[in-house]
Amino acid sequence: MPRSFFNSFRLSRRIRAALAAVICVTALSYAAGPALTQEAPKEQKQGGQASPQGPKTSPQPGANLPAYSAEQIQAGQALFAGQCSFCHGRDAAGGEGGPDLTASELVAQDVHGEKIGQVVRNGRLDKGMPAFAPTDEQLATIVAFIHDRKAKAKEGRRRTVDVTDLQTGNAEAGMRFFNGAGGCAKCHSPGGDLASIAGKFQGLELLRRMLYPEERRAAGPAGPTGQVPTATVTLPSGQTVTGKLAYRDEFTIALVDASGWYRSWPASQVKSAVTNPLEAHAELLRKYTDEDMHNVLAYLQTLR
Amino acid sequence: MKLGRDSFALAVALILPSVFCSRALAQGLDANALLKPTPDSWPIYHGDYSGQRHSHLTQITPANVGDLTLAWAFQTGQATQIKSSPIVANGILYVSIPDHLWAVDARTGSQIWHYTYPANEGLHIGHRGVAVYKDSVFLTTPDDHLVCLDARDGTVRWNVVLADVKQGYWTSVAPLIVRDHVLVGVSGDFDNIPGMLKSLSADTGETQWTFYSTSQPGTQGSASGGATGGNMWITGTYDPELNLVFVGTGNPTPVLAAQTRPGDNPWTCSIVALNPDTGKLVWGFQATPHDTHDWDAVEIPVLVDGFFNGSPKKMLLQASRNGYFFVLDRTSGKNLLTSAFAAVNWSKGVDKDGRPIHNPAKDPARDGRLVAPDEGGATNYRSPSFDAKTGLFIVSSRDAFGIYFSKPEHGTVGWAGADYGVFGKAVLRAIDYQTGKIRWNHDLGGEGAAAGVLTTESGLIFTGDSVRSVLALRTNDGATLWHSAIGFVGNAPITYELDGRQYVIVASGGALFAWALPEHLSGQARPQ
Repeated sequence: MPRSFFNSFRLSRRIRAALAAVICVTALSYAAGPALTQEAPKEQKQGGQASPQGPKTSPQPGANLPAYSAEQIQAGQALFAGQCSFCHGRDAAGGEGGPDLTASELVAQDVHGEKIGQVVRNGRLDKGMPAFAPTDEQLATIVAFIHDRKAKAKEGRRRTVDVTDLQTGNAEAGMRFFNGAGGCAKCHSPGGDLASIAGKFQGLELLRRMLYPEERRAAGPAGPTGQVPTATVTLPSGQTVTGKLAYRDEFTIALVDASGWYRSWPASQVKSAVTNPLEAHAELLRKYTDEDMHNVLAYLQTLR
Repeated sequence: MKLGRDSFALAVALILPSVFCSRALAQGLDANALLKPTPDSWPIYHGDYSGQRHSHLTQITPANVGDLTLAWAFQTGQATQIKSSPIVANGILYVSIPDHLWAVDARTGSQIWHYTYPANEGLHIGHRGVAVYKDSVFLTTPDDHLVCLDARDGTVRWNVVLADVKQGYWTSVAPLIVRDHVLVGVSGDFDNIPGMLKSLSADTGETQWTFYSTSQPGTQGSASGGATGGNMWITGTYDPELNLVFVGTGNPTPVLAAQTRPGDNPWTCSIVALNPDTGKLVWGFQATPHDTHDWDAVEIPVLVDGFFNGSPKKMLLQASRNGYFFVLDRTSGKNLLTSAFAAVNWSKGVDKDGRPIHNPAKDPARDGRLVAPDEGGATNYRSPSFDAKTGLFIVSSRDAFGIYFSKPEHGTVGWAGADYGVFGKAVLRAIDYQTGKIRWNHDLGGEGAAAGVLTTESGLIFTGDSVRSVLALRTNDGATLWHSAIGFVGNAPITYELDGRQYVIVASGGALFAWALPEHLSGQARPQ
């Protein structure tokens, strides 16, 4: 029941944080509750981490990053500390579940805050990050702080998981598990839906998709097919309607039918059956040893 | 918690001075009102000192709950989610979010006053609520201040510093009042700083004592094995007869990397019993020895007097974030029962003292470990409830899996690792406290945690699902009797009765919703 996930998730103190940094490790994501409703804070006295210079290193698209004033960075630091640091860390290098922004691809591509600002203002509800409503001035200070931290981040980023960290599995053993005890082959095949999967996803993203592949996470290239729960609703007349499950709670069921229309019914007035191909993944989580998990990952990495 | 006559007499004797003080304040909330809350109030975070979040009100029943209607709503006008439990005293409801406190007419939802704390850089992740005592309201702030306001008009009486925000502390807790002690814990696990619980004078804000759950800075030797952390960020409970305060402590720091903190790391991830007058530790019980997964044991330590294995016992019940349900003898801290109430794969079983046994194979590692529960936990800050009639402990729980990483490059400060949620399923569970067995499950329809829980004497549960509804369930079997799709419920419901009408208050988004029977029905249900 993926729909419910973010709703509940973004509202809790730590639950949302736990899952906030979803597949896209490099994405700017925020999962705390409050919005930026404060006035811009006064300048902070302490020097600390602020830098009078702009970022020293800049990745390709952002070769002409603007220089940020120490005042801007300090103001941004204060706002970031109050609103963002629970998930992203006070140094923007990752907190409780939130990704390391200093290693973020989106931050790397951001020049004047266009990309960061869009995420801050719109949120990433699908990843547990609510929308914020900073003033332009406040947003500029937050952007300044994030770029400053990125510029200062050292090699070997602090709280990231690198592809090289995940190379402990045995591909052959993984293949045996895939075809045997894991039951993966019941739904997947290396020459079919998983063909060249390792070319599409790497490292942590591949691992997370392997464990529980959620379509809502699929902002990037499409993953293996057949992962959307389907619902069949039997109306009081006996007519049946089948489609992609669109919504379900205790009281309502909704689907998108073959013609693309959203349709909903009171759950108490119809019969419904939902087929969720992801259930097998949830069940497997209770069976995997860590070794199994690393082995299957190693096997998937051979599917290029 | 039912207070015996003896304990009540003792408690009255202990609080006599405060009673005299408050006589002059006709509308004030005195210490006696905290010991025996009246039906027209919700004067303590949990409703009373026991932490049971159980109301004796019976106007709303399983038979008529289907008629509930919206009596009023209060819009804060803020985007910030209300996570706090309101306090109700003297017909006024106090509700907070970080930096904001509103006083609202508990009958109508109309605003009486609004206090805004100045912008600050403390973490604004959430706020649990305020405390009221005599004619004062006590508000904690993200930058670690305790502000005392006049409960009548919101003017500031005093403002004291609890901790240094620059060191990485922030504060979100609802204070607990025990006589003239205002007990306040702080938060902060992104830095290696010790957990603190402070007692301040309700009159002056002067610090009376500080309890450190891990080694106090500057002390030689470390009983906590080199660990810092252990913050007490949820409101504790109080037994006036034993004169003990019970508080859960948070995770150790560094959080995911443990090489610098060998051993069990007491008193992190623990339940501690403290003397409220001195702050001295009377006993401690560690829910997670040597935690490496951020599983705070701050969840409400619920006090229950009842039978266990045929003998009357003074107990403490906790459903802990690590997935285990504990029953302790609260006079001694001795364990009576430990049982898993959600998916757990991280321990090697339970030791002779009832503590889960740490399994190093499930510590965060460079290549990742698949761990249940995930970092958000099998349950979290949302209050559970205890219903004495059925002996059921009702808790919003999750069967959840996460992957945990840590490598030397992650360092040994603060988080010191990375973790990612994989999957979760939210279920409301009714635990039989005498056996630890699950009496019933109620699917909450989502992956994330849902709301806190309130039970009432008429056999009702009020809570929220993981999707977008507030629910009323039957306590016996968890069957749904009523719901309203107001949006995700972000706090723990409360209830009170004014002018013969029972109100149930829940928060969703930036609004409070007050549910009651239609006026003609609540009039009929009113005791004659």
